[in-house]
Amino acid sequence: MRAAIEIRELSVTFATRRGSHAALDRLSLTVMPGTICGFLGPNGAGKTTTLHVLLGFIPPTAGSATLLGADVRQSIARERIGYLPENPDLYGFLSGWELLAFAGRLFGLDRATLRQRSRTLLEETGLADDADRRIATYSRGMKQRLGLAQALINDPDLLILDEPTGGLDPLARLDVRRILAGRRAAGKTVFFSSHELSEVESVCDRIAILARGRLVAEGTLAGLVPPGQTLERFFIDSVTDRKGCEV
Amino acid sequence: MIRVIAIARLVLLEMIRRRDVYALMIVLAAMLVALLSLNVFGLGGTAGYVKETGFLAAGLLGWSFAIQTGARQLPREEQSGTLFPLLAKPVSRWELVLGKWLGAWLASCAALAAFALVVLAAVACKGGRTDIATLLQAYLLQITALAAVVALAICFSTRMHADASSTLAYLITGTAFLLTPRIPHLLTVATPGAREALLVLYYLLPHAEWFDLRRRLVHDWGPAPWSAFALVVVYGALWTVAALLAAWAALRRKRFDRGAA
Repeated sequence: MRAAIEIRELSVTFATRRGSHAALDRLSLTVMPGTICGFLGPNGAGKTTTLHVLLGFIPPTAGSATLLGADVRQSIARERIGYLPENPDLYGFLSGWELLAFAGRLFGLDRATLRQRSRTLLEETGLADDADRRIATYSRGMKQRLGLAQALINDPDLLILDEPTGGLDPLARLDVRRILAGRRAAGKTVFFSSHELSEVESVCDRIAILARGRLVAEGTLAGLVPPGQTLERFFIDSVTDRKGCEV
Repeated sequence: MIRVIAIARLVLLEMIRRRDVYALMIVLAAMLVALLSLNVFGLGGTAGYVKETGFLAAGLLGWSFAIQTGARQLPREEQSGTLFPLLAKPVSRWELVLGKWLGAWLASCAALAAFALVVLAAVACKGGRTDIATLLQAYLLQITALAAVVALAICFSTRMHADASSTLAYLITGTAFLLTPRIPHLLTVATPGAREALLVLYYLLPHAEWFDLRRRLVHDWGPAPWSAFALVVVYGALWTVAALLAAWAALRRKRFDRGAA
């Protein structure tokens, strides 16, 4: 079976005033279709850099990555994916409807499909009543939900989310969990970075933990976290050494 | 092409909702009303005077609008973060450049048409007439020039922030407009070293003066020969394509890494 995400020996180095900084160091990771994979790590571990390489924002310094079999450097790799950035900044001068229409046009959706999907997604994300309002008047949580709706407009086979529940109230978080579970039930893949360990525990089939640009743990929750230990404890142990310093 | 049109449409929609054009139109109208009511050097009553000053002001406002619109497209997308969901769609960097250029250019064309209408209304108030063929030629040449101006501003904005790229675009196109027509005269009085430098500038800078048919409009000289008109359009198109290709080359391998470790 073809992997949804295939990362091989991926390195990204940024030039700094004092030389260079390795944001990712020979990272290899495979995410199989139909799973929800949580991508964890402390701040600055390289999670967002990994997502940005996968989305073609940053070219890798070394190594390779594919999305649904296509090289991430080609725009065709993004045909079947959806992406929600952390704190999505959306065009404030558009209404919710207009944003979804714009996103749908970029995927080449026809008018009827676009209208039907937009209506379904606005209802699913609880924004149907506010869809005609300008996005500039939306709250942070509403923007987050609209960002999720635009990420789903093409019914993607792979959904990449960066902190999807940040800024959401508990009820909206439940909605997001329901949407993610729905994607898995439909055989789609979800790959998301998060600091919310309870979120990860409740929805993920697998987790990958990153520290200082390196993969330090990867597998199912049951396989990684020993009985009697919490994910939080396991996470802290994975990203720190015996003295409690970040590895 | 669908994606290019979708991006261009977004730029146009933003321009309509930002209301910049309306503000500039009000400025132009206020200026013309002042010109109509004042009698500077005893010329206040002539339609030719209103035409000359009005079309100059319309051209300058159109030029400024084109630079500002072109220069802020990419930097603002990057700064506000809206670029990230956009590039996560199957949009190539070339489609992004082309869509932004098309939207900014169409907005500039519409703005210039609106400014020209204000001037024509003022000229009509003074009982003046304007030759339609010359007006059409003048408009088409102006929008050809605006295509190149927008492309240059976008090209600079791939590596600079909006203010720096608009300043550079003002500087280059302004110098081209003011200096290049005077270079042949300067060559006759320049020293040998300066002469070579002037020649380099003459061939390097765009010839903005070729796109300006104001005198023909004001003095009713009639349209320029269509063969010369076509050559100038091709010249403008070449400048536009070159600037767009340079913008794409600069953007093709650019890293967008806001928030990345």
